[in-house]
Amino acid sequence: MFKNYFKIAWRSLSKNKSFTILNIVGLTVAFAAAILLGMAAIFELSYDRFHKNLDTTHLVYTTIQTTKGAKASTSHPVPFAPALKAEVPGVDKITRFLEDGSLISYNEKVIDIDVVWVDSDFFSLFSFPVLSGNNVQPLNEDRSLVITKEAATRVFGKTDVSGETVLLLVGGEEVPFKISSVLDDIPANSSIEFEVAVNYMHHPTYTDNIDTWNSNNHQIFVQLQEDLSANEFENRTHDFSNSHYKESIDDAKRDGALPDASDQYHQISLVPLKDIAFVNYTNGKAQIDRSLPYVILGIALLLICIACINFINMSVAKNTRRLSEIGMRKTLGAGRKHVFFQFWSESVLIFLSTIVTGTLLSFLLLDKFKELFRTAASFENTFSPAIYIIALVGFLAITLIAGGYPAVLLSKIGTLQALKGKLKTKGGNQLRNVLMVVQFAIAILFISGTFVLWGQLEFMRTKDLGFNKEHVISFPINGKKNSYTAVELLRSELAGNPDILGVTASDNNLGVGKDGNASTSRLGFDHKNRSVSTNMLVVDYDYPEILDLEMVEGRSFKRGYAADSLSIVINEAMALELEEENPVNKHIIMGDSTKYTIIGILKNYHFSKLNKAIEPISLFMNDDWDLYYAYVKISPTNLSQSFDKVKEAWTKVEPEATFMGSFLDENIDRTFRREKAMITIITSGAIIAILLSCIGLLAISLLVVNQRTKEIGIRKVVGAGIRSLTFLLAKDFVKLVLIAFVVIVPIAWYAASTWLETYTYRMNLSVWLFAAAGLLAIFIALITISTGTIKAALQDPVKSLRTE
Amino acid sequence: MLLQLNNIFKWVNSGGQRIFLLKDINLQVEEGEFISIMGPSGSGKSTLLNVIGMLDTFDEGTYDFLHESVHSLKEKHRANLYKEYIGFVFQSYHLLDDLTVKENLEMPLLYKKFKGSERKAIVADMLDRFNIVGKKDLFPTQLSGGQQQLVGVARALIANPKLILADEPTGNLNSQQSEEIMELFKKLNEEDGVTIIQVTHSEQNAAYGSRIINLLDGRKVEI
Repeated sequence: MFKNYFKIAWRSLSKNKSFTILNIVGLTVAFAAAILLGMAAIFELSYDRFHKNLDTTHLVYTTIQTTKGAKASTSHPVPFAPALKAEVPGVDKITRFLEDGSLISYNEKVIDIDVVWVDSDFFSLFSFPVLSGNNVQPLNEDRSLVITKEAATRVFGKTDVSGETVLLLVGGEEVPFKISSVLDDIPANSSIEFEVAVNYMHHPTYTDNIDTWNSNNHQIFVQLQEDLSANEFENRTHDFSNSHYKESIDDAKRDGALPDASDQYHQISLVPLKDIAFVNYTNGKAQIDRSLPYVILGIALLLICIACINFINMSVAKNTRRLSEIGMRKTLGAGRKHVFFQFWSESVLIFLSTIVTGTLLSFLLLDKFKELFRTAASFENTFSPAIYIIALVGFLAITLIAGGYPAVLLSKIGTLQALKGKLKTKGGNQLRNVLMVVQFAIAILFISGTFVLWGQLEFMRTKDLGFNKEHVISFPINGKKNSYTAVELLRSELAGNPDILGVTASDNNLGVGKDGNASTSRLGFDHKNRSVSTNMLVVDYDYPEILDLEMVEGRSFKRGYAADSLSIVINEAMALELEEENPVNKHIIMGDSTKYTIIGILKNYHFSKLNKAIEPISLFMNDDWDLYYAYVKISPTNLSQSFDKVKEAWTKVEPEATFMGSFLDENIDRTFRREKAMITIITSGAIIAILLSCIGLLAISLLVVNQRTKEIGIRKVVGAGIRSLTFLLAKDFVKLVLIAFVVIVPIAWYAASTWLETYTYRMNLSVWLFAAAGLLAIFIALITISTGTIKAALQDPVKSLRTE
Repeated sequence: MLLQLNNIFKWVNSGGQRIFLLKDINLQVEEGEFISIMGPSGSGKSTLLNVIGMLDTFDEGTYDFLHESVHSLKEKHRANLYKEYIGFVFQSYHLLDDLTVKENLEMPLLYKKFKGSERKAIVADMLDRFNIVGKKDLFPTQLSGGQQQLVGVARALIANPKLILADEPTGNLNSQQSEEIMELFKKLNEEDGVTIIQVTHSEQNAAYGSRIINLLDGRKVEI
């Protein structure tokens, strides 16, 4: 019996080739896209899940109550971790975690390397698989170092390197370290990435800060004892915070900050390890936001939904031509279930073949996809047995619904009605229309999403940030020389070149450079008996001039002014924060009672990402503090030539370092990685959605035209022109697109404005944007149906009347 | 007695008016009869045939088929009844284009859950009986109208029905083909004892039958 069903299904499918092909193409594309997007989403959601102590491990952060509300920070002082373990019961293991870049050398070969400074518990807390060497406590021995397989290959050209000694640049000196173990590659879905791990005690600032509670620079991970809840532990830390942070708590009280719900000014809290890839801190609380992977998953589902709608519409429409067949079968003794299985088997055949072709297609496109979407998802790291089962159940459900619905519809028709070949089309058409509205609504949603994302990205890219981003190159000062010496050498190397307009440096980059690092330094102090906090930036001479920052008042740092190491330049936001009428020449006392004089005020500029309001910043010039990034301004002519000159000069200054320079506008672009990834996803979703909707629309329009051949013939005989006929046929479809537009715009508007609210600086949401999306959808719909309708309108009426 | 219709009425409501399709039809059919239903277009011939075949319902009256009261049966039982005892032949053949001759013949047996070997035997027998063994692997579109109708009749007979209902079986055929089909009906009726009720326009075809029923505007009339 089943053989028979499939045999007949096969013949019927091969007879209706065009529909079968349209269906197969549509479903294949949808399945392939859904598989890829699903993989990306599952991969995102799988972040850090490979750690064995997933449930007990947490990241520590503190929430401090200030007069401006609660502020969260994951940065902690050196004595924090040992004190927490000693004083608060419940800590099983604890490790400090500081990421840094350094230089590693072996046999005259010098290589940039990502270093993490951690405590010896690190490797028992996290589950990074050890390839060779000590796999229990690899960092216990003095001067031991753990290296990853990949980094070992970079440094040594081989992976069997346990016991070798390398030189690591620590605080300007090359220190020998013995490799105690080699790690397997760090899984792609790990939030914690590094190439080399070294015991925290070897960090250059360790000994100086061993008892310093007010200088924070590293993260802390803690593993709690089994059966101790994070909440319980957080409550236990109150005494710890109140004793170690007494001073700052007193300051907060004095300034009038309000305590939190549990009457704390300084609260230590935990973020579970499984959430750290999705955490952001708003209003002093860790917020877990997994919306991006779920949006991706949602897009995948919507695409499948569109393809299924196509399938349903096409099979209902196509099979109404086979009504007499159904009638005949029924008079020959077929029951409802026989008719159902007959039609359903056709669907099953199509779905089975498309899931195969779809999977193949996704295999073929995987590499391109990974590149385009910057995901490391692969079949190996996303497909687990559970996922297979879910996918299988999903597939069966789709087959049952999309394939079963038309079959049920057809099997329900009465025998005589079917034999006469007439279907009460009223209900069927309504459902078809509803489904097409849904389809176009999804398409319009995607199109307007694309527009909004592009709009915001363009807004951010073209916004005047208050500094010169087009003609300034920045690059990390990544050599062995003292940074000030290096910058001085670079200055003299580039001097005399008319295309080089100046060189300066600071301890932070603007945007994200090729090294991919971004950091912030903040400083808090008391001013007029009030806590004030500011971003701090250490700069070299000419920093405001080279970046074309505008001075509102006063002067910037000048050569020959000996006292300038105790001078600061602040921005307008900082002036506001200080609540000084005329801040220039006023003094402020910071940290270790050093008195600084404000010498100038800069107009506000966007030194951090545009989703934040401009914060206070203070520029320092003190050569006790290192510089990390050099800036070179070049003249607008010969940009690429000058770029090469700078590169050449830097290679001369630091022959062993790699030049990682890029223009500031490129750096700014790099900060939009998340937006760009979203754009890629939504745009490709939009394109596929449109493509699929068009396939469905094409098929339906051809069928409708077919059904209306007689009507068209009659109208023509009575005198209708080609234009009015085309209009008549197109009208119905355009109406559907319009309804879809009206339905979806409020939703799209709401989604867009919610998303834009995460940006302090955002574009204006205009109706025209959505209107454009709707018009585009109508335009595409018209083009799609034009083939069928125009052909029908041009038909010879005599012929079309005869065929009836 | 095979079937009996008593005071059958069937109507549709159109524009507030009740239009009768069948009006007070009384009919008794014995096993082995060959009846022709005649009448002008719109007189209710096909409707009557469909009512007898249980494809269509009626609004008033009683219908007994082999001592079962059809009017009080549920849809499902009714379907089972006609599947078991009635074979249909149509003017436009209604063969399934996707199936070969052999598969068209086999289909009713599939729905009646015959075993594979049994099906093959019955189909082979039928192909043989109708002299269409050579055509068994052809598709309907490759056959002439007469041949298609031959397959149609063979298919109607394959499950061994007691009654064959034929709705203008020769309407699409030329005179020679018509004659062949009518001869076939006559033979089936006389030799195999199959009861046949046919709708026809042609006096000539009606003459093959043993009884003629004339309809006019849904009413049985005597001529």
